[in-house]
Amino acid sequence: MDLSELKQQSDASFDIATAKKNALEKAFSQQILVYNQSIFLANAETINLVATLKQTHKTFVVLDSNDNPCVIAEPEEFLTKLIEKNQEVLNQYHHLYETFRKKI
Amino acid sequence: MSTGILIYCFDTDKIPYHPTTNFCISQIKRYLNLPVTVITNKNTQKNIQGADSFVIIDNQLNNRRTYKGETVDWYNLERACAYDYSPYDVTILLDSDYFVYSQQLKQLADTSYDFLLHNKVYDLTGRNSFNYRTRSLIPLVWATVVIFKKNDRVKSIFSLIKHIQNNYQHYCTLYRIDFRNFRNDYAFAIAMNQLNVNNFIPVKMAMLPTDTDVVKIDSDSVVFKYQNKKSSITKQDVHVLNKEIPFNV
Repeated sequence: MDLSELKQQSDASFDIATAKKNALEKAFSQQILVYNQSIFLANAETINLVATLKQTHKTFVVLDSNDNPCVIAEPEEFLTKLIEKNQEVLNQYHHLYETFRKKI
Repeated sequence: MSTGILIYCFDTDKIPYHPTTNFCISQIKRYLNLPVTVITNKNTQKNIQGADSFVIIDNQLNNRRTYKGETVDWYNLERACAYDYSPYDVTILLDSDYFVYSQQLKQLADTSYDFLLHNKVYDLTGRNSFNYRTRSLIPLVWATVVIFKKNDRVKSIFSLIKHIQNNYQHYCTLYRIDFRNFRNDYAFAIAMNQLNVNNFIPVKMAMLPTDTDVVKIDSDSVVFKYQNKKSSITKQDVHVLNKEIPFNV
């Protein structure tokens, strides 16, 4: 493999890595979920916290993305919305990720 | 309770901002379907399309900045009056070069927060061009997107921004800011610091730097090029800093 081919390969992998990073940032930014007028991120941390608290509490308080408290009166509904949003975003990211994988 | 968008647009001799504003308005109508008010001057107003209402002012002309190695006019001295100019109870104040490709801002306008903006951004070209942390004592916030409600607290934030603008050199020295030309981002950052306002949009704003050319733009995507590398984004809100955008391509 000559130097120009190596450079081409290097450029291509840089482009793919940047596109992947952008797709992941887009996924993170789409995780915003507004619930009870508070802002949450529908990520693994929030889902795990709500799923855990829901096992022992009918209502509970969690901190939103700016560390302000929010009463969760209907945990089941909140958890469903979090999971729906999380999976909607990650499915989109998964599709994009597959297109990047095919390019490598 | 009314919710709407507020945009500033003033053409300068070197840079016509109205094409950017017109595209910004069309994106808002497509994705957010909210009323748009443009604050502008008489000369620029005739070229603006799609706005629901206008606030016509004689804008201040005495600020400049470096753009692509040249010193150009920068008519950015009216943002502190956004609270007074806005006809809405909940205002989404946008830079005219912030293009909406999702419904996210509508969600963020429907919260208990009365003042929200970004304090984190990322460079879509992967070069981390927006790291200004060492250029002042105070972390930068971005006044590109500001969601605010009308109440006494927010009124006092904007009053303080006006005061900071009028005494900008003093605050530059106090916070060791090395952008001596007035920059709204720092005025907002200082006001939030002084009034201990700590609520932010919890995700990073996508940015395309000044040296990145927009090759193609439409209502769903932006194709951009930098250092012979081409890339694109789809259905993602973005702040485009290069003012030469080929809207008709």
